[in-house]
Amino acid sequence: MNSPQREDTLLSNYTVSSARMEFDKFIVPTVTVFILLLLFFFMLFPLWMILKLSFFKGGELALANFTLDNFKQYFTTAYTLRSLWHSLYISGVTTAIVTVLVFFFAYALTRTTIAGKTFFRNIIMMPLVAPSIVQALALIYLFGRNGLITSHFFQIDWNIYGATGIIVSEVLYCLPHAFVILFTTLSAVDIRLDEAAESLGASPFKVFTRITLPSAKYGIISAAALTFNLTITDFGNPVVIGGNYSVLATEIYAQVTNLYRFDLGATISIILLVPSLGAFMLNYYISRKSFSMISGAARPFIPPTRKLKKILYSTFCYLIAFSIILIFATVIIGSFVKVWPYDWSLTLEHYKFPSIGGYSAIWTSLWISLIVGVVGSFITLVAAYAMETRRPYFKQVMYFFSVMPAAIPGLVMGLGYILAFNKPCYWFYGTPWIVVINIVICNFTLGILSSVSNLKNIDSSIEEASISLGGDTLSTFFKIIFPLSRVAFIQNFTYFFMRSMTTISAVIFLVSATVHLAAIEIIMLDNDGWTASANAMCTCIIVIVFVMIGILHLVNKWAGQTPAKEVPSQ
Amino acid sequence: MSKSLVLKNICKSFGSLMAVDNVSLTVEPGEFICFLGPSGCGKTTLLRIITGFEFQTSGDISFGEKNLNNVIPQKRDFGIVFQSYALFPNMTVQQNIAFGLKMRKMPQNLIDKRVDEMLELMGLSEWKIHYPSQLSGGQQQRVALARAIAIKPNVLLLDEPLSALDAKIRVRLRAVIKRLQQDLGITMIYVTHDQEEALSMADRVVVMRDGQLRQVGSPWDIYKKPRTSFIAEFVGTSNFFAGQKNGDRVDYGKFSFEVTDMDNVEGEKIYLAIRPEDIEIVGRTIASDDCIPSNIVDVQADLITFLGAVVSITVNFEGQELLVDIAQKEFAKQPIAEKETIHLYFPPETFHVYSEIFKKLI
Repeated sequence: MNSPQREDTLLSNYTVSSARMEFDKFIVPTVTVFILLLLFFFMLFPLWMILKLSFFKGGELALANFTLDNFKQYFTTAYTLRSLWHSLYISGVTTAIVTVLVFFFAYALTRTTIAGKTFFRNIIMMPLVAPSIVQALALIYLFGRNGLITSHFFQIDWNIYGATGIIVSEVLYCLPHAFVILFTTLSAVDIRLDEAAESLGASPFKVFTRITLPSAKYGIISAAALTFNLTITDFGNPVVIGGNYSVLATEIYAQVTNLYRFDLGATISIILLVPSLGAFMLNYYISRKSFSMISGAARPFIPPTRKLKKILYSTFCYLIAFSIILIFATVIIGSFVKVWPYDWSLTLEHYKFPSIGGYSAIWTSLWISLIVGVVGSFITLVAAYAMETRRPYFKQVMYFFSVMPAAIPGLVMGLGYILAFNKPCYWFYGTPWIVVINIVICNFTLGILSSVSNLKNIDSSIEEASISLGGDTLSTFFKIIFPLSRVAFIQNFTYFFMRSMTTISAVIFLVSATVHLAAIEIIMLDNDGWTASANAMCTCIIVIVFVMIGILHLVNKWAGQTPAKEVPSQ
Repeated sequence: MSKSLVLKNICKSFGSLMAVDNVSLTVEPGEFICFLGPSGCGKTTLLRIITGFEFQTSGDISFGEKNLNNVIPQKRDFGIVFQSYALFPNMTVQQNIAFGLKMRKMPQNLIDKRVDEMLELMGLSEWKIHYPSQLSGGQQQRVALARAIAIKPNVLLLDEPLSALDAKIRVRLRAVIKRLQQDLGITMIYVTHDQEEALSMADRVVVMRDGQLRQVGSPWDIYKKPRTSFIAEFVGTSNFFAGQKNGDRVDYGKFSFEVTDMDNVEGEKIYLAIRPEDIEIVGRTIASDDCIPSNIVDVQADLITFLGAVVSITVNFEGQELLVDIAQKEFAKQPIAEKETIHLYFPPETFHVYSEIFKKLI
C-alpha cells in the first residue's frame, strides 16, 4: 500500500520549524538576563543603598557628601562599639565550642560502632525545623529568672541572661549546620589511613592527632567558618536572651526601630558584613578545596570500637541529643502548662494568641512559605539549567552573583530592602510579596548549588539526544530535564519552605501593620511578656514544618521511584 | 536523497591542542564509514563537529548543496546514537521513539504508525510501553537506534554505540546495524576504537591519529596495505624489525631478506613489518621447496599460547620477540613443544616496509 517512496515524501513534509529554532536562540540569554536583573534589583540595589547611606551624608551620592562620620560615631561611642566586641566574643567562643563538640559527635557517628546512629543523626538535625529563637526561649524557661532548674530546683540567684545565654543558644542552634559538613568530611576520609598508621605501631593518640585531624582539616575549618557566620548574623536568640548584652545584629535593629537612625543601622550593617563575608569566603574557598580530598577508595566498614571508647562516645552523643530534645520539650511543654514552673496543669489558653497577628500570622507564614518553596525551587532550577546548559551565557557572572546572597546577613538584606523599596512606586513594598522575594533571594545560593549538582548528575548526552532529535530548549527542559529533577526539586522545596517558616532576621524589617509572620510574632509575644504564647507560636511552627517534612518525605518516596514500578511488567 | 556529506579542511583546536587537524573527507550517500582510532585521536570531536555540537575552528562542512557551517544541530536532521544510549528515562520506549517526530509536529496518527514501524523493524514491539530501566543494555541500544532512524535522518551518526555492551550482544548488534544500513540505505558514520568492529562493518574505514586522517580505504586495504607502521600495529598486530635497505633486499643482522614491495620507502634505514599469521612454519604450513632460502630463519619456540582458533607462538629472533600465529587445526596435526627449534619463513610479498616507526623497538 505505502510505497517507501511515498513514506519518504510524507516524512519530509514534517521538519523542525525554523521559526521556533530562531526563537530558541533567545531563551537561554533571556533567562540569564532575567535572573541577573532579579539579583541586581533585589540584592545589589538594596546593598548599594546601605553603602550609600553609610558613606554619604543623607544618602545623597556626591563627592562632597562623602563622609566617615557614621563610622567615627560608631567607633567612638563606647555604648555602640561594645556590640562589635560582644559579637566577636560570642561568635568566637561559640565557634570553638561547636567545632569541638560536633567534631567528636561526627567522629562517633562515622568512626565508631556505637548504637543508635540513625537516632543521633535525626536528633542533631532537629534545630533546623524551628526558628533560631527556640533555644533562647527554652533556656529562659530552664535557667532564667524563674527558671525550672535555677530558681525551682536549686533556688539559686544565678540566671543565664547575657553572654552565657547567647553562647549556649547559638551552640545548640549551630549544631546541625556544622554537623552536615563534618559528617560528610569524616565519612569521606579513608579509614584505612588510620589502620595503616596503627599497623605501623602508632598509638591511638598519635593516629588521631597525626592522621585523623589533619585529613579532616578542611572540613573543620569550613564548619568553623560557617558557625562563625551563622552566630554573628543571628538575631533571634540574642534579642530574646541577651538582655542588655547587645550584639551587632540587635544593635542594627535597635538603631533602626527604636532610634530611627537608619544611617547608623546601615553603618553597623557594613561593619557586620565584614566578618560575615570573611567567614563566608573562607568557607567557600575551603569547601572548593575539600572536594579533592574525598577519596574514592573510602569504605564504609568500621572496625569494632573498644568498650570504654564506645561508652564514652555513647554518653557524649546522648548528652548532646538530650540537650536538643530538652530544648524542644521545654518549649512545647511550656506552651501547654498554665504557669511555668509553678502550675503544671494543662491548658490551651496560651494558644489564644493575644497579639494582633495571632493565627492569621501562621496562615500568612504558611502560604508565603508554600509560594517561596515553589518559586524558589523552580527559579533556582531554571537558573541552574541556564548555567549548565550546552551553550550557557555569562556563566561565570551568573555563578558569581548566585553565590553572593549566602554571604549577606539576612538582617542586612532586610534593612537594604527598606532603604531601597520603601517608596510608593514599589507596589510590593508592605505586601507579603516583598517577603517572598526577600526569602527567595536570601536562600538563592543553596538552592542553586543543589540544583547545579543535580543537573551535573544527568548524563549530558541526554540533552544532546533531545537536541539532535530537534528538541528546543523549552521542550528539553520541560519534557526531560524537569521530570528528571523532581527529587531534587522536592528537596529544594523542603529547604525553601523550612527557611521561610523559620527565618527571623531576613524578614524582621519587612513585617508591617498588615503583614504578620509567625516567626516574628514569637519575638513580639515574648517582648510583650507573653512568653508562654511565644512558646505556643514556636510550637505551631515546629508542628507545621514537621507535617510538611512528613508529606514531602512521602511525595519524595513516590517521585523517587523509578517509573518502571508503575507499569506492570509482562 | 543522494547527497554526500563533504568535510573540507576541517580543523578544531582547544587552546594549543589540535583535536582535529585539517580533515577532508567525502561521505558518499548510502555509505557506511567507520572512524577508527585510539582514544584521544580526535574521532569523537570530528563526529561532534558533524553533529553540530562542536563548531570547527576552520574549514567547511556541507551536505549536498547546503553549507552546514552555521546550522544548529536541530536543523541538520542527523540521527545520533550515543555510547550511553541517552534514552529519556522518564519516557516509555514508545515515547522515546516518538520524541523526534513530535518535535517535527507530525500528526499523532502518523507518529503512531511510524513508531510501530520502528518497533517492528527493531523487534521491540512487546516492549512498547516499558521504560528504559526495564530493558537490557542491548534492547536499550536498539531503542536508541529506532529513535534515531524514526526521523529518517540524512546521516546516522553512531558514537561507539556498542562499547558499553558485553561481547556476545555486541557481535549480535553489529549484524543488526549492518543489516539496517543495507536495508534502509542510510548513510552511516560510525565511531569506534575497536578495529574488529570497523573491519567487519564498514564500507570504508578512516584511521585517525593525532587529529589527522592517516588512511582511508576499504577494510581489506587497511588490513592488507597499512600505510604507516602505526596502522600496521593498531589494526591487527605486526612484528617489527629495523633493517638496512640493500637494493631490493633488506639486511637484518646476518640475514638478508627478499622483500617484494619497497616502492614507498626512501633512505637506507627502514623498518619491516610482518603480521603474525603471515609467517609460515617450514615443514608444517609450507613445504621447504616453496620457500626462498634467504627468507628462512631458525628460531626456538619460547612460549606456546593456545587462543582457541589460533595458537600463538612466541619466539626469540635475534634477541627480539616475534609472534607467529598458526591455525589451531594446523598446530594439532603436528604440535610444537616449548624450546623446540622451528624454521620460520617470511614470504617476501607479506612484508610491509616503512621508513619511520611510531614506537621504539627493543
